[in-house]
Amino acid sequence: MMRTLDKYAAIFPVLVVYAVLFLLGLNMSGMWQLMATLLFYCALGQAFNIFLGMTGYVDFGYVAFVGMGTYGMAVTITSLAGTGLGGLTIIAGYIMALAFSGLLSLAVGAVALRLRGAYFAIATIGVNEGLRFLIEGTNLWGGSGGIIFTRQLNDILGKDASSALATFWADVLVLIIAVLAAITTIVYMRSKIGYALTALREDEDAAKVMGINVTMFKILAFMTSACFAGLLGATAWALKTPYVFPPEVFEIHYTIEAIIIVMLGGAGTLLGPVAGGLIYGIGKYVLSIVLPGFQLLIFAPLIIIIIVAFPDGVVGGIRNKFGHTALGRFIL
Amino acid sequence: MMKHVAERCLAALLAGLCLLLFAPGTGLAQSSIVIGHPACLSGKYAKAGEQAVGGIKACVQWVNQEYGGISIDGEKHKLEYKVYDSESKKESVTSLIGRLITVDKVDVVFSAYSSGLTLRGAPITESHNMLYMDHGGANNKIFEQGFDYVVQTIGPATSYHKGTLDMIKQIAPEDKRVALAYEDSEFARMVMEGAENYAEELGFNVVFKRTYPSGVNDLTPLLNAMKAADPDFVLGGGHYEDGQLFCSQMADMDFNVKALSLIASATLPAFYEALGTNAEGVMGPSHWEMGVTFSEESAKEKGLPWIGPSQEEFISLFKENTDKNMKPDYHAAEAGAQVLAYALGVEKAGSTDSDKVRKALGDLEFMSFYGGWDVNENGMQVGHTMVNIQWQDSKRALVWPESAQTSKPVYPMPTFQEKDQGAVAVPE
Repeated sequence: MMRTLDKYAAIFPVLVVYAVLFLLGLNMSGMWQLMATLLFYCALGQAFNIFLGMTGYVDFGYVAFVGMGTYGMAVTITSLAGTGLGGLTIIAGYIMALAFSGLLSLAVGAVALRLRGAYFAIATIGVNEGLRFLIEGTNLWGGSGGIIFTRQLNDILGKDASSALATFWADVLVLIIAVLAAITTIVYMRSKIGYALTALREDEDAAKVMGINVTMFKILAFMTSACFAGLLGATAWALKTPYVFPPEVFEIHYTIEAIIIVMLGGAGTLLGPVAGGLIYGIGKYVLSIVLPGFQLLIFAPLIIIIIVAFPDGVVGGIRNKFGHTALGRFIL
Repeated sequence: MMKHVAERCLAALLAGLCLLLFAPGTGLAQSSIVIGHPACLSGKYAKAGEQAVGGIKACVQWVNQEYGGISIDGEKHKLEYKVYDSESKKESVTSLIGRLITVDKVDVVFSAYSSGLTLRGAPITESHNMLYMDHGGANNKIFEQGFDYVVQTIGPATSYHKGTLDMIKQIAPEDKRVALAYEDSEFARMVMEGAENYAEELGFNVVFKRTYPSGVNDLTPLLNAMKAADPDFVLGGGHYEDGQLFCSQMADMDFNVKALSLIASATLPAFYEALGTNAEGVMGPSHWEMGVTFSEESAKEKGLPWIGPSQEEFISLFKENTDKNMKPDYHAAEAGAQVLAYALGVEKAGSTDSDKVRKALGDLEFMSFYGGWDVNENGMQVGHTMVNIQWQDSKRALVWPESAQTSKPVYPMPTFQEKDQGAVAVPE
């Protein structure tokens, strides 16, 4: 028991941070929506880190999985509104979101993961843009007009419950997704999957020679990361905001944000995406209040300074410093 | 050594950011009425956002200085404007609206720009029973979702080409054949839907209807098919680039129609700069343009109350509140007019209570430098008419509606061959 606890001790700081965020949001006036935004960034980083951090592959099309999850939920709600299924519609929406993002990642992963480096990055950008144009060009799911489904959600859950879902419960679900992504990360890290992924990240050819089925492990990390992205889209972009427009859900900017969050905090670390999400979210929020319109001008050099000061990310830097102390087992 | 200094500076900076995070809201004067705005000062809507902020500041200044403040039970209250930058991002919109309502205790929230960002903020304002005024979201579907506190100032997307159709029906009732070709985007599709429905309502015959993809670089196949349908006039567009392509390829094909109206492109000075005489006679709808002649007199003629600065006063106040070289466009005008609507709504309600002001806004009808203002029971703008501009002798002339007209429309417009020989569009 003690050994297991010791093995997974690094999850505790993550859970503590999330619990503090949740309690601050709940008890401080005006803080809930900010905490919701911070949780979104942490969850995005945590989900993205499963693939980027553990394999070293940069997926520039990551937002496509968030977008597909959003569509999964939106299409389910609009299709099942009026059937009287009530809350079951939301569960069906999550299943559909997982199916959409999971199947897309399987299809993309099976082909694109045979490529490496810049070739893989370019291929994933192509998937993101191609998917957007496919939806717009074929008029699929409302085409470029998108889907606005506040009324259908009101019909399914009732106006008050729907409002509570958009302004509170969706954020709680984002928190749960972030926690699940963190647990999955540490389980992977502490299992053969993690060792295989670390081996392929450090030297893919050597890992192959050692008998590791690198393609299988890469696809596993890719699909896991994509499924969390789908769940995040279904929650933060569909339940919280009942509309979906293709240019917004396939906006590459979110992939860039995910990369920044993971690099700021420390790629391949467990606590890194949380630290990155908090630095990124709080920095942008405070500067948008103090210096509206100039925040990016200040924030961009700040990010550069952080990366220069902590080449392994903030958590990576702290781990290098305190890794050999008693605190070390909590910093992963 | 340097690394340690950098780490310490960074730690101090992050601590400072966290302190600011938990700092209380600014102490706004209690007797003042506060407008909160998660504006788009950076990001993809920065240009429109900067204009909107300038327009709001101009009209807030007018209400405080010229109008003397907002009168409630005989007591005058100043307007204050609290603006944050949402970076044109939906995550920031919700967190900033949350702060504006609960920390800054604003009395009304103005939406960020675009339909998407307006929709993003609506659940938050609805859950706080807070009035939410929309000056940047034109999608009609916003008002079909059952929101109680959303009130629109910008005209709905479906109304963009209504003025053009009204004009052609009046000046050339025999011309019935209309072709529609718009960009495949959420906004342009909505404009097309409105144009098609209104054209049919007015008895026009839609002989061609098609969309083209965003970022298109060749419209000749579409224009060839359109030419075969032999329309009398064409409505379309989506963005500046495709609008310019639309007109230049029509010229290349010598495809002549009696009128060509393009959204979001033909009204821009760059359109004429790029196309030269080929732009002569081309029209475009706009919410507002410098030079419109809405005035106290035109309000009187329509039997509507007038409020706000004259157009010249608005332009001067706008420049005072922004970069002196910046000229206000329709984004500024509609956001400014929204301030005036809110001021009148509060006075009519005799309170800043969102429920009362929402009800008062529902009953309100007035005219300002921006034009008419009236909303239906869902909060959608129905009183504002788009103005139509036409390039006449290299200048932008306001040709419709008649109440804002600076020149008569040129119909039919000169053919491309005539334009090639130097002909310009000049009214008889």
